Amino acid sequence: MDYPVIEFSLLGNGMVIGLVAFIHVLISHGVAIGGTAMMVSLEYRAYKTNNKRLDQFARTLSKWVLIVTTTAGAITGVGIWFTTMVITPASIGSLLRIFFWAWFAEWIVFVTEVSLLLLYYYTWDKWKGAKKNIHLRVGYALVGFSWLTAAIITGVLAAKLTPGLWTETLSFWNAFFNPTYVPSLLFRTFIAILLAVSFISIIVKMRVKDNALQQEVFGVFGKWMVVTIPSLLIFGVWYLFKIPEQAYDQVIWSTGMEPLVFTTINILGLAVLIIYALWAIKLPKKVPVILVFIVWAASIGFVGEFEMVRESVRKPYVIYDYLYANGIPASKAEEFSEEGFLENWTFATVDEVTEETKYEAGRILYEAQCLACHSIDGWRSRRAFADRVAGWGEDSLADYIETMHISRPFMPPFVGTEEEREALAHYITSEVDQANGEVAKGGDEQ
Amino acid sequence: MIFQSVPVDLELAIPGNWTLLMILLVVSFLMHIVFANLTIAGAFYAVWNEIRGMVKNNPVYDQLASQSATMTSIFKSIAVVLGVAPLLLVSVLYTQYIYPATIFIGEAWLNLLWILIVAFLLLYLYKFSWNRLKNKGLHLTIGLIGTMMLLIVPLIFIVAVVSMLYPDKWAGAEGFFHSLFYYPQIWQRYFHFILASFAVTGLVMYFWNKRKLTQRTKLHAVDGKDEVAATTENVKEDVKVYEAGKSFGMQAAFWTTALQLVIGPLVLFSLDREVRLLYLGDDVFLTSLLSISTLLSVVLIGMLFMLMKTEAKKWLLSSLTTLVLVIGLMGWMRHEVRESYIDPHRAENPPTIEQQPIQIGDMMIE
Ligand code: HEC
Repeated sequence: MDYPVIEFSLLGNGMVIGLVAFIHVLISHGVAIGGTAMMVSLEYRAYKTNNKRLDQFARTLSKWVLIVTTTAGAITGVGIWFTTMVITPASIGSLLRIFFWAWFAEWIVFVTEVSLLLLYYYTWDKWKGAKKNIHLRVGYALVGFSWLTAAIITGVLAAKLTPGLWTETLSFWNAFFNPTYVPSLLFRTFIAILLAVSFISIIVKMRVKDNALQQEVFGVFGKWMVVTIPSLLIFGVWYLFKIPEQAYDQVIWSTGMEPLVFTTINILGLAVLIIYALWAIKLPKKVPVILVFIVWAASIGFVGEFEMVRESVRKPYVIYDYLYANGIPASKAEEFSEEGFLENWTFATVDEVTEETKYEAGRILYEAQCLACHSIDGWRSRRAFADRVAGWGEDSLADYIETMHISRPFMPPFVGTEEEREALAHYITSEVDQANGEVAKGGDEQ
Repeated sequence: MIFQSVPVDLELAIPGNWTLLMILLVVSFLMHIVFANLTIAGAFYAVWNEIRGMVKNNPVYDQLASQSATMTSIFKSIAVVLGVAPLLLVSVLYTQYIYPATIFIGEAWLNLLWILIVAFLLLYLYKFSWNRLKNKGLHLTIGLIGTMMLLIVPLIFIVAVVSMLYPDKWAGAEGFFHSLFYYPQIWQRYFHFILASFAVTGLVMYFWNKRKLTQRTKLHAVDGKDEVAATTENVKEDVKVYEAGKSFGMQAAFWTTALQLVIGPLVLFSLDREVRLLYLGDDVFLTSLLSISTLLSVVLIGMLFMLMKTEAKKWLLSSLTTLVLVIGLMGWMRHEVRESYIDPHRAENPPTIEQQPIQIGDMMIE
């Protein structure tokens, strides 16, 4: 807490973080980790079967892996940090303090990974024939290091949900090797392969005219899928067993679907993957384009689901049991409620609630405590106050806020005095009235 | 707005030895910034030489430009990953300053992301289409837009790292464009950085082409019994490019370094009086740091001049060594400037260096 607040009203703060993170997950998993693994695996196959065209295909692939990972991949990775740094500074700041050395090690691994990738790409034509072995070895090392980047960052990501013994010891190693570390890492590994297979399949279908080459590639992918699908199932279930119960109950809820719809969609997704695997093994020459696209959509869907669930089941916390989603440490709630929140907030422009400052005080409280998840207006209507509290009135909203963390356990408690609570209700109500009034005046919608 | 202070630091302690982390910050930042230098000036030189090639209708400059474009595309990947460590360290060590500073320019800060992605993609396109794209004008435009986008990037970073030094001015800041002229130091630092990029890249270009030239002539001497007879067209072409690269790199390095004699003092004079005086006698250590680095810069200019005249290997090696020293000292001074600004605030708003007991869940953790 205690940082200035910024609002990205076009997308909404949560969406800005989510969007950058999602693109990054797709690229880091699908291209940097899975893509390099597939690329080297194809090169290996080409080497073993002495297949020039397959080798050439792997080479072309490596150019795209290089371009995508060193542009959008790398920058969205830094981007997760950039977005969280301005939108949820307390949360990322605390994580950096807990996991500093993990991130530092990650840095060394990153630098090695990029150097290996550059080496791999720029030596394709130099290290041929007798030297092909060396090139392949660089490839193996590259695959190893890209996987290592995931092995490190997963410690951080998983700890946000299940900090485990850290909450008793504050020990780095306890935080890192937390209860969901192993299942999430394994799950992520196979998600990466799934994504890569689905991306590259599309490229093969759209760009490769040579049927024999298509057959070769799908043959290799089919084998990978036989390992990947059961692994995803096993590690996914293992992961679900390890997350906190309260969070577990929120899994389906957080996707916003009916339980039946949720289950059906997931089973269908899985079925598509199985069909693809069987097809690729049995009839690698004739994998239908449409199937390739469905697999692609399904795998992106699975990634989105996994990330969304992981991010939202933590609520109301960003670091479970320690830090609330709005950046306020749970331990400070009581103290601030007694002393007054504004008093303790460095960037507050007013220190206490009076008739004159009521609106301004309410605005500060809203920005500091609600903006992390809500907006006044906006396209995410479930989170927009203009939709949610229209017609409630100031008093009932103020009453609601007092117990909001009990009636809606995914929200953190309001932190502040009674006057501050009323100021917040006052601010939200006036803004909502104004927003709704304007829409009505404009005559559209409602 | 009326607030007037620095946020309270996070409860969780800074995880490591203060001095060690500060050293890591300075060293990792230098590694990052050298590659950033090479990326930005490399892109600029590529465009510049492509234009020269077009104007003078000389394919040698075009090939030299293509060489720069290839190097930039490699260096930029390294610059980005190397940047992770200094950003990590500055976030952990200066949490109370860097976070507000970036939040105040939050929109520009996030715009950095797409600017970098698009610029990098354009520069890849520029490089990979060098011999394939027949429309030279279009090709040049691609490189030009990419380069101009890259030139914006340091400006955003500089606003962030300068504004973090001025908590007392935060309340009056109104976003990125306002900050560009609201905070002191910004433009001086920007041009100081850009010139340094030109100088470093020039010298690296000289060094690289000289090496290539030596390799080329050696190879050539091995397979040819008769020097002249064995000179194939190919080798001749390459040699011309390397020669052009050498002379371009050296001149660029010399002139831009000489210009720093003007910009450097401007940077010094953009600092607040009290801070500046620390470097001008008030503090023995800081004053020596400044004097030594100034002296070395002048020596470097002399060496570059000799290198231009004689092309002797000893001047190349001594210039490179001096350049590395000067860059190191500059990075160190930059750090000391930050410390001079932040020290007074730190006394009032101490960072969490030792872990105090904190409450997690229902428990107090010692
Ligand atoms: C951790 C994120 C988070 C924070 C912080 C948060 N909320 Fe919410 N809030 C939610 C979610 C999620 C919903 C429910 C959306 C839905 O029903 O789908 C919600 C719903 C609500 C509703 C509608 C409740 C209902 O039962 O219809 C109100 C009112 C509300 N929040 C007020 C607040 C106020 C006031 C604050 C700031 C003091 C706040 N919230 C902070 C996540 C948050």
